[in-house]
Amino acid sequence: MTKTIDARGLPCPQPVLLTRNALQEANTVMTIVDNETARHNVARMAERAGCTVQVESREDGIYVLVTKGVISQQQVEPEPAPVSQGGPLVLVVPSDHMGRGEHAELGQILTRGFFHTLGEVTPLPDTIIFFNSGVQLVVHGSPVLEDLDKLSQQGVEILACGTCLGYYGLKDAVAVGEISNMYTIAERMLGAGRTVTL
Amino acid sequence: MTSNEQGGTSVQHAVILVHSANHAPKAEKALQQAGITCKLIPVPRRLSSDCGVCLRIRRADQETALRVLEKARVEIEGVHEI
Repeated sequence: MTKTIDARGLPCPQPVLLTRNALQEANTVMTIVDNETARHNVARMAERAGCTVQVESREDGIYVLVTKGVISQQQVEPEPAPVSQGGPLVLVVPSDHMGRGEHAELGQILTRGFFHTLGEVTPLPDTIIFFNSGVQLVVHGSPVLEDLDKLSQQGVEILACGTCLGYYGLKDAVAVGEISNMYTIAERMLGAGRTVTL
Repeated sequence: MTSNEQGGTSVQHAVILVHSANHAPKAEKALQQAGITCKLIPVPRRLSSDCGVCLRIRRADQETALRVLEKARVEIEGVHEI
């Protein structure tokens, strides 16, 4: 079953997110994009997920055919994927300030420094999960929005806890990533090769 | 979606180093109030091995920024083009 996603004209990171979502339901996804950046980001996300990628440039767009590999087909089974050292790297952000201490301002300076640095070091996390007061970092006015936008464009999955956004009254203010739920958050954390908590 | 500094390849930057992290918010506030775009970032590794923070500005804003900080009485440690 091939699912077709027409992502022409859509801003980043929509082509990546739509392709990723389509891969939950189909083994083969044809994503049509209209620029090289989108092609690169979709291909990068797919390859990281263990899929094979074929690209064909046509007059009306760039056709990216993503086919799940054997490994990634196993990963979408309802059973949780076995934990392995080689699995996804998941960064967990439970607070809007990094570390503990009596001065939240210092923690916020560290958070800003961390997300800036994330764009310059390797490895890049596969997924970043924001919960509790950490969700304040994914909304309009967040001091790290520019950094998160760049990470998202590079194919990093950004998930924010919906319960937490609701608690803070920030559901309508989300500016990057996806609003997620505890099932997805638990699956990503338990299925991670490595989880790093900020 | 911000697109003002995509990759930062075309914009040339400078960083203003402050004496310690608790001076950074004051410096940032003064620059923002003067309408100068800045970003609080860790001090680049090649400038210092200390875990310090600094303010990244556009190189074109350098002179104005230094005047603003002097006026706001924020002591700085140095300026480097990056």
